[in-house]
Amino acid sequence: MTTMDAQATINDIRTRALGELAAVSNLEQSVAWERAFLGPKGELTLFLRGLGAAPADQRPLAGRGGNALKVELTEIWTSRHATMAAEALDRRLIDDAIDVTLPGRPVGLGSSHPVSQMIDELSEIFALLGFQTVFGPEIETAHYNFDLLNIPADHPARDVWDTIHVSLPGEIVLRTHTSPMQARTMEMTDPPVRVVVPGRVYRYEAQDASHEWMFHQLEGLAVDRHITMADLKGTLAELARQLFGPDRRIRFRCDFFPFVEPGVDFAVDCAICSGKGCRVCKGSGWLEMGGAGMVHPDVLRGVGYDPDVYSGFAFGLGIERMIMMRSGVDDLRAFAGNDLRFLRQFASAA
Amino acid sequence: MKVPLRWLSEFIDTGLSPEDLAHRLTMAGLEAEKITSIGDGWNSVFVGRVESVQPHPDADRLVLATVAAGEHRLTVVTGAPNIAQGQVVPLALAGARLIDGHAEGQVFKTLKPGMIRGVRSEGMVCSEKELGLSDEHEGIMVLEADAPLGAPLVDWLGDTVIEFEITPNLVHDFSILGIAREAGALTDRPVMMPPRFDLSTAPRAAADFVTIDAPELCARYVAVVIENVNVGPSPAWLQRRLLAAGVRPINTTVDITNYVMLEYGQPQHAFDAGVLAGDRIVVRRGRDGEMLETLDHQGRQLSAEMLVIADAERAVGIAGVIGGLNSEITNATRRIVLESANFDMKSVRATARALKVRTDASVRFERGIDPNLAWDAAARATHLILELSPGASVSAVADVYPRPRLPWVLSLPFAEIERLLGVRYEGEKVLDALSRLGFSPALDSVDEKLRVTVPTWRSDVKQAADVVEEVARVIGYETLPERLPTGQTAPVQRDPISALQRKVRALLSGAGCWETITYVTLSEDDLLRLDPDGTASPGLHNSGYAELIRLRNPLQADRDIMRPTLLPGVLQVAAENLKHERGVRLFENARVYLPSSNELPREANVLGIVLAGKREPLGRLTDEEGELDFFDLKGLVETLVAHLGLTTATFRRTDLPGFHPGRSAGLFIGDVRIGILGELRPDRAASFGIETPRVAAAEIDLDEILRAADPAPKRVNVPRFLPVEQDFAIVVRNEVAAGDVEAALRAGAGPLATAFTLFDIYHGPQIGEENKSLAYRVTFTAPDRALTDAELSKVREKIARTLRQHVNGDLRT
Repeated sequence: MTTMDAQATINDIRTRALGELAAVSNLEQSVAWERAFLGPKGELTLFLRGLGAAPADQRPLAGRGGNALKVELTEIWTSRHATMAAEALDRRLIDDAIDVTLPGRPVGLGSSHPVSQMIDELSEIFALLGFQTVFGPEIETAHYNFDLLNIPADHPARDVWDTIHVSLPGEIVLRTHTSPMQARTMEMTDPPVRVVVPGRVYRYEAQDASHEWMFHQLEGLAVDRHITMADLKGTLAELARQLFGPDRRIRFRCDFFPFVEPGVDFAVDCAICSGKGCRVCKGSGWLEMGGAGMVHPDVLRGVGYDPDVYSGFAFGLGIERMIMMRSGVDDLRAFAGNDLRFLRQFASAA
Repeated sequence: MKVPLRWLSEFIDTGLSPEDLAHRLTMAGLEAEKITSIGDGWNSVFVGRVESVQPHPDADRLVLATVAAGEHRLTVVTGAPNIAQGQVVPLALAGARLIDGHAEGQVFKTLKPGMIRGVRSEGMVCSEKELGLSDEHEGIMVLEADAPLGAPLVDWLGDTVIEFEITPNLVHDFSILGIAREAGALTDRPVMMPPRFDLSTAPRAAADFVTIDAPELCARYVAVVIENVNVGPSPAWLQRRLLAAGVRPINTTVDITNYVMLEYGQPQHAFDAGVLAGDRIVVRRGRDGEMLETLDHQGRQLSAEMLVIADAERAVGIAGVIGGLNSEITNATRRIVLESANFDMKSVRATARALKVRTDASVRFERGIDPNLAWDAAARATHLILELSPGASVSAVADVYPRPRLPWVLSLPFAEIERLLGVRYEGEKVLDALSRLGFSPALDSVDEKLRVTVPTWRSDVKQAADVVEEVARVIGYETLPERLPTGQTAPVQRDPISALQRKVRALLSGAGCWETITYVTLSEDDLLRLDPDGTASPGLHNSGYAELIRLRNPLQADRDIMRPTLLPGVLQVAAENLKHERGVRLFENARVYLPSSNELPREANVLGIVLAGKREPLGRLTDEEGELDFFDLKGLVETLVAHLGLTTATFRRTDLPGFHPGRSAGLFIGDVRIGILGELRPDRAASFGIETPRVAAAEIDLDEILRAADPAPKRVNVPRFLPVEQDFAIVVRNEVAAGDVEAALRAGAGPLATAFTLFDIYHGPQIGEENKSLAYRVTFTAPDRALTDAELSKVREKIARTLRQHVNGDLRT
């Protein structure tokens, strides 16, 4: 190979390379061009590698010319390729565009039942106030459901709870309230006691939009030295504010429950009208939340606590009622109905 | 209890509007349930006088009455048979809103002048029904002669009635007098007592006129014998008061006993003295076999458990419950014995329950009445009887009261109020509150004790806490401050089962399932639907039908079984929802009730799951046709138990009643079955009204999971080396269970293998018709080193050996 031959070859490669590069119209062709001329087995690479066989005096010149061409072609191609890559990316971004308002791929999440959600929420609130959550039997003896709660068998107070009886020896009932766990808890532990008891309760009661024979309650009990009704009021006010908003107020009204003395029912001012009276609170400004009071000395005595040393408060509220108040549910039966169209509306509350 | 405010106003002037009075009493423990107005709509109704009555020119049954009321003087056409000149009557002018006398119930209409058979009627004279006072529409209402002519009728007859709920502890408030006392305490106004006859001036009855044979059941018996009584309809004012209070008028004597019961809270009874054998009253227990026909014309079987009122020979009444027909007061009665007595609350309650009769008397007696009330109430009734029967006189009075109830004294530290309420009230304020309620309190300045003399009508005030409540409710609960309990907190204990249940709810919710809460009762039919032939209940826990926990008085007669399984309940929810859903994933996380040798049944915590219908929702990106099946359920259960920390659970094909024999399994820990899962037999699913091609259901014992699970991992490796994955194609005979193949694979692979995934099952001629090939990808990792090829080929050899030995399987290369 003469110098002229080498130069002619370089020129020839250059002419063809530039010509072909000019015709390149997409990235694949661009990559192919690079492979054909500059790649490890590309024409120019092979040419340069072949220079080793050329006469020694021609090598430098041919080498310079070849390497210069390599630099030139690499530069041109790199820039050209980058431009094309950028164009291709732009095109891809345009072609890939979608209607982002189309719905996403469905993710099938479920949810816990609103009653479970409310029980969890209440347990959490009370845990922060130092109350443990405990559970008790739903099928209960009359001894715990009534006798130890100061509701004697032959007293009209027992008529307040329409009771479902179980066909078992002894007087066994479906618990009419979560209060039996007051006595059970106190029997098991010494003061101080601070528990809440969520659970299912039963009444012999015809069903309608505001009556159910099966529903859920949460019982609260705090017994210690120096527990007062002011502590009860503060605790229930805290509860009301956690559930219904920071501005809520609590009202006590004298009421009778045999296992507390003094006994009250407690109401929260209506969040809709702030106590002024509206349709939701039936004009009264207040919504009844539950019953409460100071644990009756006879109940304390019954479990072996000295009522002159220890005092305590207890309260009970309806779980479904709390949900109805907060979410405007107008039919108690919906909770055991389990219609998914109903349950779905509580998905965000979990 | 209904309290007409005109009646109440005879006892107290509260100075409050009905609404304010109702509110004050409600806050103090007497809940006002309803306030109704009598005469609310009587805008154009006046007290009028019938000046003349002329025949209607054109109709025999109608008359023309000229009625004057103040400046109004008009002619009305009426068919009232009882209208007569000189009567004082309610006169309605055009525009009055009245109840249609001819319509059923209360249909209001506005009065317009109109022509009746050719004569213009300008107004109307009204019946009681038209005014909403009663259902009486036989004739017009005739008012008392002294009614103020021309005045609006509402001024004369209008009233407001507040209906109170009386809680069982408040028997002393179960009367007009009781409400008046409460109102007096709250408003600090005096209570006035109505006139009474001075019984102490009357002749004493013979010593044996009243005999109490059962003094343990009768603390006191006051009897007043009254001669020359006229029995007939009560005057209008008395009838109206009774009606307003919800009691039906009968005759003067009976009405007065009822009137005084409402007024004082002391039930009374009057006997026709003329029929009392031996002219005496014996209070004794009933005799076995003794019968009495009571005022409601029911034959009653008496017993020694019941207290009866008898004459010398026979029972004439059931004490405190209901009178006997044999001594009933009739219009012919001239001589009566008025009973004002005190009967044992438990006895009255038991008797009323045994006889299944509840009377105004029994509901009062069973709450425990103050025996001191009997005398005053008798004096009040006597006054009224003599007032309504001019010429009548008291001939004898008996009062058998061996152990009079005296006021009692409670002594408590003054600080007890603050100890229970958390607020310190001034001594004066406390004494004032208690005094207003009728207590006699004294504060001892030396020992700081509050000594409270309790009036005998407050049997509910027995100890310090009762006194504290009285103070609090009068001073007002709004004065209590709000605080949070301080001091030592109780030791912390987390309830493990509820923590587990919370986790189950979170996991299943995340897996697309919805929690349900169903009723705890089932009918036998609900269980038989799942397993029509079974002698034991279906589901995870099986009990014989005779052993199931049943209710004595279920709400629905056939739903008397406390559920031994959650499945029927969740299946019913599935069926309901599938009426409007493409597919459902439901669970319930609750208790089932199982027979036990203990006093109470076992309440097991169980998880029930039901999957049915389309796996995915309708959508452009979803598989719209795929049906939820066994493998959806199994995948869910596998993942769930793994996430609950159960590493040793296995699945085995198991026959389950109601389930598809080829698609059901048990979930086991060792040999203990802790769960069941499978597809329902199509006919069983259909019996629940589910028509999807497949219904998959599971029931798992959470108590067992809690026992076996180890949720807090003890030895966690931090991965530092990349895993190596190898595929194994294992050829076994078709009948070999995949679970056994995987078990052999696991056994052979040893501890280096950390994950096994079955990714293909192949059938084909290359491996023979009788065989299948299971392809597993196994992940190998060692915590402390990169695995070498030499190590892995050793493992591979061991796997090949184990597969041959355990399942006669070959590794395909």
